[in-house]
Amino acid sequence: MTGHDDRQIRDALQQSFPPVNTEIHRDLWPTVLRKLEARPAPMPWYDWALIGLSVGVFLFFPRLILVFAYHL
Amino acid sequence: MDLFRRFALGEIDAFETLVRQFQGSVYAWIVRIVRDPGIAEDLTVETFWRIYRARHRFRHDGNFSAWSRRIATNLALDHLRRKRPEQSLVADPAGVPQPNHLLQREMQEEIHQAFRRLPVKLQVAAMLALVEEQPYDEIADALGISVGAVKLRIFRAVRILRRQLGHLGVRREEIQTRVNKNDRT
Repeated sequence: MTGHDDRQIRDALQQSFPPVNTEIHRDLWPTVLRKLEARPAPMPWYDWALIGLSVGVFLFFPRLILVFAYHL
Repeated sequence: MDLFRRFALGEIDAFETLVRQFQGSVYAWIVRIVRDPGIAEDLTVETFWRIYRARHRFRHDGNFSAWSRRIATNLALDHLRRKRPEQSLVADPAGVPQPNHLLQREMQEEIHQAFRRLPVKLQVAAMLALVEEQPYDEIADALGISVGAVKLRIFRAVRILRRQLGHLGVRREEIQTRVNKNDRT
């Protein structure tokens, strides 16, 4: 590839992507603080159900752990 | 106790100081990649949220600016991966429509589509290096790769774009002829 090609692509891209304003318009700290204070979403019931089912299956059929581990 | 140590211990006042000090540079970095002020603000907030959650992993003698930039870049990469490929990054320029605007727009759209077809990692390297003209070492730091790897990504991006836009030289001449004709009439 030549420097000329490189320059052509650079020029084409610079024309296609107009400069963006990189100045921030507002203080984001209040939003960050709100996000920090928000409680994390609780785990949905079906995740608990899946965990319970998996534990139950492995308790009753412990050999399945080996089969499961083999396929991981 | 210095600011970074207090931040790592979870002091919210120290974190507030850091957010106010670095939000401008983090936002500027993200908006250069995603090119949308609203999305850049959301990703900046998300970046600081992740920074706070990962505060235990921050080395007190480390470079906070580089660390925050790397987290911001990863979030911007994830955003671009999720974004629909057909969604254009071309901002509509404000004001009265200029002559030949549609023709220019058509060409810009072709370049955009070719750019959006690039793998996201190549897009980010090319955007930061070729469009935003950021230093290679800063891009390398932000992407967590070597300067050589950045150059390689740019090389690959240019090669793919050159192949995809091969016909554009002809199209450009054709469009220029039409523009010249319009100017004369």
